[in-house]
Amino acid sequence: MTRLHWSKTHMLAALVAAAGTIGGSFAYAEDISPDRLLNADKEAGNWLHHHKNYSATRFSSLKDINKDTVKNLKVAWTMHLGGVEGGGIWSHGGLEGTPIVENGFMYVTDGWGSVYKIDAHGGKGVLLWKMDPKTDHDWAGAVACCGVDNRGVALWGNLVVSHTLDGRLIATNKETGQVAWQRQVADPDKGEVITGAPLIVKDMAITGVAGAEYGIRGWIAATDLKSQKEVWRTHTIPAKDEPGHETWKDDKNAKASGGGSTWVTGSYDPATNTIVWGVGNPGPDWDNEYRPGDNLYTDSSLALDADTGKIKWHYQHTPNDPYDYDSVAENVLVDVPGPNNTTLKLALEADRNGFAYAIDRTSGKFIWGLPFVKKVTWTKGLDPESGKPVEYDPKQGVQKYNASVTPSRTNKVTDICPGNMGGKNWPPTAYNPDLKLWYIPVIESCNRITLEESDPAKLKPREFWTGGGPSQPFKITGSVTAIDVTTGKVAGKAETDFPNLGGILATPDLVFSGQPSGEVIAYDAKSLAKLWEFNTGGGVNAPPMTFSVDGKQYVAILVGLGGAWDKWFIDATPELKRMQPGSMLYVFAL
Amino acid sequence: MKRTRLNGAWLGLALAMAWSGAGQAQSAAASDPTDAGKAVFKRGNCVGCHKWHGNGGGGYGGDALSLRKTELSREQIIETVTCGRPGTGMPFFVRGSYDTTKCHGMSRQDAGDQMPPEANVFLRPNEIEAVADYVLAHIKGKGEPSYAECTAFFGDGSRVCNIYKEAGHAAAPSDNNDKAKP
Ligand code: HEC
Repeated sequence: MTRLHWSKTHMLAALVAAAGTIGGSFAYAEDISPDRLLNADKEAGNWLHHHKNYSATRFSSLKDINKDTVKNLKVAWTMHLGGVEGGGIWSHGGLEGTPIVENGFMYVTDGWGSVYKIDAHGGKGVLLWKMDPKTDHDWAGAVACCGVDNRGVALWGNLVVSHTLDGRLIATNKETGQVAWQRQVADPDKGEVITGAPLIVKDMAITGVAGAEYGIRGWIAATDLKSQKEVWRTHTIPAKDEPGHETWKDDKNAKASGGGSTWVTGSYDPATNTIVWGVGNPGPDWDNEYRPGDNLYTDSSLALDADTGKIKWHYQHTPNDPYDYDSVAENVLVDVPGPNNTTLKLALEADRNGFAYAIDRTSGKFIWGLPFVKKVTWTKGLDPESGKPVEYDPKQGVQKYNASVTPSRTNKVTDICPGNMGGKNWPPTAYNPDLKLWYIPVIESCNRITLEESDPAKLKPREFWTGGGPSQPFKITGSVTAIDVTTGKVAGKAETDFPNLGGILATPDLVFSGQPSGEVIAYDAKSLAKLWEFNTGGGVNAPPMTFSVDGKQYVAILVGLGGAWDKWFIDATPELKRMQPGSMLYVFAL
Repeated sequence: MKRTRLNGAWLGLALAMAWSGAGQAQSAAASDPTDAGKAVFKRGNCVGCHKWHGNGGGGYGGDALSLRKTELSREQIIETVTCGRPGTGMPFFVRGSYDTTKCHGMSRQDAGDQMPPEANVFLRPNEIEAVADYVLAHIKGKGEPSYAECTAFFGDGSRVCNIYKEAGHAAAPSDNNDKAKP
């Protein structure tokens, strides 16, 4: 732990703030209460949740930076971070986090889970402390399928709450940077690691887990931040006496190692006290003959009672998935006008399988779905009633979908579109509630799958359990694709040379996103015309966010290409081989 | 690499050196003639694809073959590392392979789309010999990876070897939960 000296500006800021507190209007060093978290969007200059608010819209109402002024956007300050070193099977770490900002103080993480508190007052960034959790690199790095990643922190009370790749939940004192307590939540001995940011609901930290490529049985867990004890843990694959177990029809107990990871932070609907969380692919990824049946709740959106973790509903996107099309993505909770003066309460999810879905979040019923990528080959489309792929046959244990491209034991080498990284991976979408446009960070892709038959003898702790693997004979590009949520139609597509590996920020008339080739880009929210661009010189692999301090708006983004792409998928984007590992925070202002 | 615990992999060696304490055990370890090769195995990121135990395995990168089960000779291993393997993900590790020196009788042009990837780091001939000797001494022909081998590779600083320990390991809380409430 490094405790850095307080800068003069910080002292000054603290004094001014203290004076302000007496006046009663300025919130400094105020604890983060459940009430503030519920009303996060009322604090326009702050960014309190991983996805900005419980609905996961990543929409900020700040608009000093707008379509007229954005051309004057410049670098305000930058900061080098650490965590670039490798470990396990990884040659280096990367940055995938979303900065959290409260009252001018920013909290970011690097890939190994160090937390940095930065004072962003006065037009510059001053590092106040760094909490290094001393993550066990070899233990965790050897079973992280997809990079040395950490997507950021959450705030609760006077604590900064974060995860580490080696499976811990850590609470750090916000003022001092000292670890208050920590708890082992996931077990890398079983191939479990944690990359997502926690979601705070009431007084609980909700944790998701990664490891479906290593034969885990996924779960979502809630830790009481007061008692530091586990409140509930809901497995994403039912036990043998629970509903859904009958969707695992094999005789090899495939569900014990059936995957279903939960490594992207979910959303929360306070009106119904429901957590909505995405669930990843079944394991082994490609050999679906090993695990006949729909394989619930893999590739599903899950709705859980926040107090008990009990499953309220689920919606499965790709039953008996043979493509690694996980549904781990965030569900964006939005209300739009429906027919006959009704209000549709939707959960929006952009799936790895290339389709965007709107589900009724009160019931789990399908409302609409459409492809958001340019090319889908694995199915002819979705059934308009059920939203299931039209070839889906519930009477069959093993689904073939479009059999000519589907990897199977009789069709071992096939090309699929989207590729297994998906039409959209973890990088988050954003939703503009004024325009009712939903922006998806797209990987326009196909890739080649080579299936390998799985058998129980090959199942070993901490070893890959994928039933095959991808290769990259095709060039992969990307786009930002906008969907009109009132119609369920594509409203626009801004194509990019490279896949979108960072995610999106929406403001009233702008959309921000980045490219793994280095550019941070601002688009017009309606036309998706490019209005501004800055090349950071490093690979953008993280979402932009915005905040204000001292009455001035800033846009911040972490830059440092890591994750799955530059190890497993780089051959699809050979130009990106020249991108250097890095670990850097960029902050822009007018 | 620090070693403070005696383990089977080099027990014999340590005994032969009339082991009399951790300090000396360390110098015994340091004198393992294949340590330089182990360093190359790490630095060349062989470990990134073949894993520390050399068994490789499928996964997102396709199948890196098992070096424990390899039947290749020293010369063949050296050639494989020097030239990579055309049409597979095994990279070539020598600067100029397929350019200034042909590999398998091929230039880059001859190899065409079978051209293997270029490694992230290039190795010198003596480093490639060292890594081949390391593979022969510690990986080729070995059975299931053991706790002793694991700690010999990583030292004692990490929990990475937990799962190879006979007596089991300190369970994380999730273990209890799996039983209590699935
Ligand atoms: C990027 C991944 C990658 C890296 C790094 C890598 N290998 Fe390989 N290696 C492979 C793959 C894939 C194969 C299998 C090729 C095939 O299918 O024939 C392989 C095959 C081999 C073989 C042939 C085994 C046999 O029995 O035919 C040897 C020997 C070998 N690698 C040694 C090494 C050494 C030593 C290093 C480090 C200097 C290394 N490899 C680094 C991916 C890798």
